[in-house]
Amino acid sequence: MTDRATEHVTCLGCGCACDDIRVVVTGGGRITETSNACALGAAWFGDGAVPTEIRVNGRAATLDQGIDKTAALLAGARRPLVYIAGDVSCETQREAVAIGDRLHAAVDSLAATAAGAVLAGQRRGRATATLGEIRQQADVIVFWGVDPGERYPRFTARYTVGPLTRAKRTVVAVDVGASHGPKDADLRVTIAAADEVDALGVMRATVGGHDVDAKKFAPAGELARRLMQARYAAIVADGEPGVSSTTIDPDRAEALVALAQALNGPTRCALSTLRAGGNRSGADAVLTWQTGFPFAVDFAEGIPRYRPAAGAHVLLAGGEVDAALVVGASATLPRSVADGLNGKPVAVVGPRASTATFRPVVAIDTGVAGIHEGGTAFRMDDVPLPLRASLDGPEAAVRVVRAIRECLGARGADE
Amino acid sequence: MSKPTRLRIAGGTVYDPANGVDGAVRDVCIEGERIVSELPRDAPRLDARDMVVMPGGVDIHSHVAGPSVNHARRLLPEEHDADAVRAPRLEDGTLARSGAGGTVPTTFTTGYRYAGLGYTTAMEAAVAPLGARHAHAELDDTPILDAGFFILLGNDDYLLRQIAAGETARARDYAAWLLGVTRGYAIKIVNPGGVAVWKGGQDGRRNVAGLDDPVGSSAVTPRKILETLAAAANALALPHPVHVHCNNLGQPGNYTTTLESMKALEGQRAHFTHLQFHSYGGERGKPWQSAARQVIEYVNAHAETSVDVGQVMFGPATTVTADSPVEQLLAASSGRKWVNVDIELESGCGIVPYTYEEKAAVAALQWAVGLELFLLAKDPWRVVLSTDHPNGGTFLSYPELIRLLMDRSYRDERLKGVNQKLLGGSALLDGLSREYTLQEIAIVTRAGPARLLGLANKGHLGPGADADVTIYTSDADRAKMFATPRYVLKSGSLVVEEGQLRRAPAGQRLAVRPQYDAAVTKDLRRFFVEYATVSFENYGAEPVT
Repeated sequence: MTDRATEHVTCLGCGCACDDIRVVVTGGGRITETSNACALGAAWFGDGAVPTEIRVNGRAATLDQGIDKTAALLAGARRPLVYIAGDVSCETQREAVAIGDRLHAAVDSLAATAAGAVLAGQRRGRATATLGEIRQQADVIVFWGVDPGERYPRFTARYTVGPLTRAKRTVVAVDVGASHGPKDADLRVTIAAADEVDALGVMRATVGGHDVDAKKFAPAGELARRLMQARYAAIVADGEPGVSSTTIDPDRAEALVALAQALNGPTRCALSTLRAGGNRSGADAVLTWQTGFPFAVDFAEGIPRYRPAAGAHVLLAGGEVDAALVVGASATLPRSVADGLNGKPVAVVGPRASTATFRPVVAIDTGVAGIHEGGTAFRMDDVPLPLRASLDGPEAAVRVVRAIRECLGARGADE
Repeated sequence: MSKPTRLRIAGGTVYDPANGVDGAVRDVCIEGERIVSELPRDAPRLDARDMVVMPGGVDIHSHVAGPSVNHARRLLPEEHDADAVRAPRLEDGTLARSGAGGTVPTTFTTGYRYAGLGYTTAMEAAVAPLGARHAHAELDDTPILDAGFFILLGNDDYLLRQIAAGETARARDYAAWLLGVTRGYAIKIVNPGGVAVWKGGQDGRRNVAGLDDPVGSSAVTPRKILETLAAAANALALPHPVHVHCNNLGQPGNYTTTLESMKALEGQRAHFTHLQFHSYGGERGKPWQSAARQVIEYVNAHAETSVDVGQVMFGPATTVTADSPVEQLLAASSGRKWVNVDIELESGCGIVPYTYEEKAAVAALQWAVGLELFLLAKDPWRVVLSTDHPNGGTFLSYPELIRLLMDRSYRDERLKGVNQKLLGGSALLDGLSREYTLQEIAIVTRAGPARLLGLANKGHLGPGADADVTIYTSDADRAKMFATPRYVLKSGSLVVEEGQLRRAPAGQRLAVRPQYDAAVTKDLRRFFVEYATVSFENYGAEPVT
């Protein structure tokens, strides 16, 4: 039995979506090598083994039974929820949103984890760039309270080291409370967590030509002046909540946008918002083009309504939801969503559905997008990339979700 | 195999300018997805007596799909909340898709609303090649419309390097390769060189000011970019020539840049888009004025030059363009929210929501300039109706625009209500009496754009044409008439009836795949390794297995 290699594979282990992975599969159908992948990526690929079960009420079932039961569960619900979890392609996400539309359901996704950044962008706009442009242009890079090495291991190597050599590039670490920038930065600025938003305000004021006479903000003012002298400044901040917090401070997200926009005058500046993996940025894009809103869309009135303050975890906590469809890997669900699903009638279609901790009524195991099935995914900067299957897997998620959609369409046409 | 559907559209007043039919009463016969010359007498009939029959509309320049459009959608939740759209129930009882409108509608709503206007083909006018896969995915979710997109090349790093090195043939091969790999339709140039300067900076500059400004290398100028890409498009025999958004969009005095750009490509086919935004006299710090006459007179005298107008319509709009330095200025002057996205190696993206007010002097001037261009144009085949949706207004304002063109008294009435401050030099104020005929409207909204796009089966009703047909109930109020066609057929299928969506079939994708010397890909692979963050093999929009 010979090994088989697939080149140029896109990894969804984090939002970097590195697309240079070489995946080697042995004759036995196990991944043995993921060249170029970081440790996080290698763990995401694993050995490629996934369960291949279909379960209804805990018992083995056929695919048709699983699809029928899912459709029945959803069609009978008064307040259904469709949740788009991680590790599914945009093609699958499109089908999932179609189901939500058809059912007048609430639809939410993993993209909601970065709601703070998204909402700030909706209030003010954005000053950003695709990651390659940072690599191409930036001569000053500020890591604002984040060391990408931790959750985005190849970010620095792939997206900040470019034609401008490190010698010509200044890396600034801003340590905000316990959230530190990279250790090997050329410059370091320390800001108390409680002062973060004010410090960003001072920087923006400084860029606008106003001197702020407060000793505690002197380093922030100094950093602002340094950025104004840059040819092209990049500010990198994490859009995902930290280990200790579950949400992003909306004022902080907005202050970062405002600073980056203000710097586009005296110089050029891009704010890069780090996003986690699993193609959550794809869910944001798909929901936006199909419904006009990037997350927390409620079809209950028969039209898409934006309920950013009443996303999945809020609806679940409030006891409103009486049935749910999870499309994607249940292991990627935010804790608040997974907890809320516990004890509810839930169908899960996605990788390792049969291992979901909240004991779904229906579990249909599918392949992992990017390992067992192809399609499209979005990098954290909204760049679309193809996914490549390097391994045969169970039923493709896109086919199962489409079948559920078609089953619901046939059922409810006379509603 | 079942027999193809047959339909005789009987007794309508037909406007089919490509075939020389100007308001003649005759039948239009459809078999399957095509127009045929005749059908048996017992074929099913659609009674179109006293109705106006035209080919389906063709939009040559619109922003409907892809990364920039989706950034704009994401920016506008308040518009979507205010214009939510229920899922239409189709003829077979199934529900289509819900969505949202506003100035940048969702994909399904875009398809339904275009079809509701009698438009069956549209070109997305600006897609960064890096986002091509995204644009195709959105078009897959945009029903009914046959659609394609133009790829942005006027600030492309690899292209500019080839120009700097004098590698004209390689530049052409690159353009051909890029069109194929992205499944694009035509080459788009936006503010040639200006966006590259905005992104990369050079001597503290944020844009180019004229055709001979250096862009990086002194060998690269907006003029060289125009010449190189126009020649490439023509040498590749692309169905649509280079589609040019000139430098200095929206700036007072920019008509000189526009004329220089046209002259730079004299003798070659070239399309200049949203000309209204490029036809201003005056200078910065002084009053603006109309320079529509100077610009359109050049177009009138040059058969190789075509344009679309990019009319400004009063009301809400969203400016969304690859011309990102312009958006910085607009954001600063309007105080509205602003998106800027620098797109690696290729292009830019700028977005600012905007409202054109009748009482605002510049908006009134823009409105007047667009109308002047229409009314002073000699050859409607080369002057296409557009609002640069959603930049000058949305495509939903086309019926109102048609009324302005067809109804002088209405136009004069509207003119009285707008700010007159900058209209001093406007031919409109001198009393342009021209009224477009229905035949001319059929040219500027379908026959002309189809011909300019090289779509041989679109924009006409001759045998072999695609059976895309729009049937209107005649009405003296032309806005009303064009807003709600009686019937719209797409590929022979009845999709809209009196404003109701009946069917929502998928549209076809329009794309080209020109030949090129494969040697360019060897060089490109090296370039990708050095500069790109996407693997060469993953770039573009080809299906991946």
